[in-house]
Amino acid sequence: MAVPIPTDVERFMAMGTRIELHRFGAAGADDALLAARRAIEAVDDALTIHRPSATTALNERLLAGETAPVDDPVLFDALVAIDAVHEATFGLFDPAADRRFAVAGWRGIIFDRAAARLCATTPVAFDFGGFGKGFALDRAGAVLRAAGIVSACLSAGESSIAVIGEHPLGGGWPFAVPHPSDPDDSLVQVELIDQSLSISATVGAGTAAPDRAAMLRPDDRAVITAPRCAVAVARTGALAEAMSTALLVADPERADRLIDQDRANRFLFDLPCATARASSARMALQ
Amino acid sequence: MTDTNFDLSRRSFLDRVLMAAAGAGMTAAAPWAAIAAGTAAATSDRVRIGVIGTGDRGRTLIQNINKTRNCMVAAICDNYEPHLTKARPYVGANTPVYADHRAMLEKGGLDALVIATPLNLHAKHVLDGFDAGLHVWCEKAMARTIPDCSAMVKRSQDSRKILQIGHQRMFHPTYLNALRRAKAGEIGSLTQIRASWHRNNSWRRPVPAGVSDRQINWRLYRDSSAGLMTELATHQLQVGNWFFDAVPTRVMGSGSICFWKDGREVYDHVALIYEYAGGRKLIYTSLLNNARYGCEEQIQGSKGTIEPELGRIFQEVPPKVLALQRMQKDVARGKKRAVPIGGATWFPELPVTTPGESLGWGEYDETMLQFEGFGEAVRANRALPGLLAQAYAASVASLLGEQAMDRGEALTWPTSLVTI
Ligand SMILES: NC(=O)c1ccc[n+]([C@@H]2O[C@H](COP(=O)([O-])OP(=O)(O)OC[C@H]3O[C@@H](n4cnc5c(N)ncnc54)[C@H](O)[C@@H]3O)[C@@H](O)[C@H]2O)c1
Repeated sequence: MAVPIPTDVERFMAMGTRIELHRFGAAGADDALLAARRAIEAVDDALTIHRPSATTALNERLLAGETAPVDDPVLFDALVAIDAVHEATFGLFDPAADRRFAVAGWRGIIFDRAAARLCATTPVAFDFGGFGKGFALDRAGAVLRAAGIVSACLSAGESSIAVIGEHPLGGGWPFAVPHPSDPDDSLVQVELIDQSLSISATVGAGTAAPDRAAMLRPDDRAVITAPRCAVAVARTGALAEAMSTALLVADPERADRLIDQDRANRFLFDLPCATARASSARMALQ
Repeated sequence: MTDTNFDLSRRSFLDRVLMAAAGAGMTAAAPWAAIAAGTAAATSDRVRIGVIGTGDRGRTLIQNINKTRNCMVAAICDNYEPHLTKARPYVGANTPVYADHRAMLEKGGLDALVIATPLNLHAKHVLDGFDAGLHVWCEKAMARTIPDCSAMVKRSQDSRKILQIGHQRMFHPTYLNALRRAKAGEIGSLTQIRASWHRNNSWRRPVPAGVSDRQINWRLYRDSSAGLMTELATHQLQVGNWFFDAVPTRVMGSGSICFWKDGREVYDHVALIYEYAGGRKLIYTSLLNNARYGCEEQIQGSKGTIEPELGRIFQEVPPKVLALQRMQKDVARGKKRAVPIGGATWFPELPVTTPGESLGWGEYDETMLQFEGFGEAVRANRALPGLLAQAYAASVASLLGEQAMDRGEALTWPTSLVTI
């Protein structure tokens, strides 16, 4: 009989959801999972808007029309990541978009990296939402890799997944995204190696959660209510989160452009018929 | 217990208090603890205490004073002879015994008073003590009315004598350790405390021949007590204020005589909500006909819960993600199949039954430590910082709760209190 593969799990609440860190194999430091947990909690502490944090302090300054210093290193790194993914999603992922203010958004913000400060032309406030989960898993992943972990699966609320290395039995980590209204059916299956997966939907159990913010298209501030589900795989959790959000709120033209850029890793489903928008994505389903 | 054993357990007890008191933020949150636990070695020059009230509590207090290194019982007083008789074995054969506290005060030879009489007599006994030039240690609750509580604080300030109130949880290593861990952020931001003191007995004491029911069962009558509020809730309201680091802004409640309809005047069922700034709440219930949930303060934060009476701290543990659990099992069996993911990120919660982690347990002498701290304060003629403010707020909260229930109105925190 094969020698059992050692496993270890850390479960906790953070980022408003349940986090699970599964480590496989004997490699790596003993306290690696705990260190990864602390990294996620540090992101939660910095990015939350549900209690006083570096982000709420920043928001207060920006809403008051003031220049805001970014002293918190975690928040600073998050803003750097946002700058990149905002670009990569044609501006469709925008944590500063706001229903109340027409011109609000990342584009109206000047991020002076050298001086570590932000100023905005109009009042804005950040709500990092799902991006925070992907970003937190990235930082936890970095901690685990640095600690010598070679095989691990990280989950934040089940809609954000990151894997380190190969599956413990070799090859990619297989995931199936169930149909939101029919759990026995799946929308798509993917295999990940050193990648992150993000799922965004306007339907399904998650969307029934209390206080869930509406999905908003940044430029015309349209609220997306049509039943849709977007799936994105990327090298980082930050990009995967931003991309699945962007796909979900995208107009047809930009959705097609985003999917065309990386057909194997980006999917958008108009539900309930579960037909993929782009033919490439439909092919990936077969 | 032998003397050596007691010294050893005393040392480990004090070490635990000191360890907890040394945590981040604890100097501000429990400034009295390190001072009390750091009390110098035994002294022959002990603080001479006269005890008024040698009932159940008074006798416990005497035994605790006897254990201290810096206090001694120098006289006892009770106007009910059988209780004096019961107390005599705990004091020296030559210790003077009085039936009237005024005679004890006139006789002199005391540095301080300890008061363990029925609630409605606290104010009089405390004020008489200050008038006699003594420092005073008085059992909780402070007094029967808020003005009396305030008068006691005021007189202590005016006479520059120490007033210390018996809230022993503030000296308990488990509570101190719980507070240290809460201050360290281990249970996240505290938003609610659910406190209860549930018993299943009448709370009635047998009345011997020759005395009145009101004398023995003073707790059950409104002249002498606010019942569950002053006798039990005060302790837990103190804990609530302490952990929230605030006094309530408002209280609402409902009280009834629901089960023990035996002629008592105080409620045997109370349910109250104390509001604190920022939307925080202490939800309090006390009753006398169901003991399932006993006495506890469930201190609830975003990352965990502390139950100090049980001595445990619980982390918020989310239920397992079933798909990932299946993946674990698959790997163990050498099997690989697609993990269904992206299901519910929101789930209805069921009570969690994880065992939690111990906050430390053992034999504690927190009541003794209160007196060592008091002795130290008397010697230095400086009250232990922070204690009286805690006690005053706890008593006011309990009495305000009584008023809110009596009137059926939400009452705001009084603005006329004495500043400490
Ligand atoms: N901190 C605690 O955990 C705790 C526990 C129990 C009681 N207590 C407090 O201790 C106090 C006493 O409670 P108890 O259970 O011992 O009550 P008790 O009735 O057993 O004792 C009160 C004593 O005071 C005596 N007394 C009454 N009037 C007097 C007077 N004018 N002069 C001298 N003595 C007088 C009574 O004869 C009686 O012996 C109360 O304030 C109660 O709240 C505190």
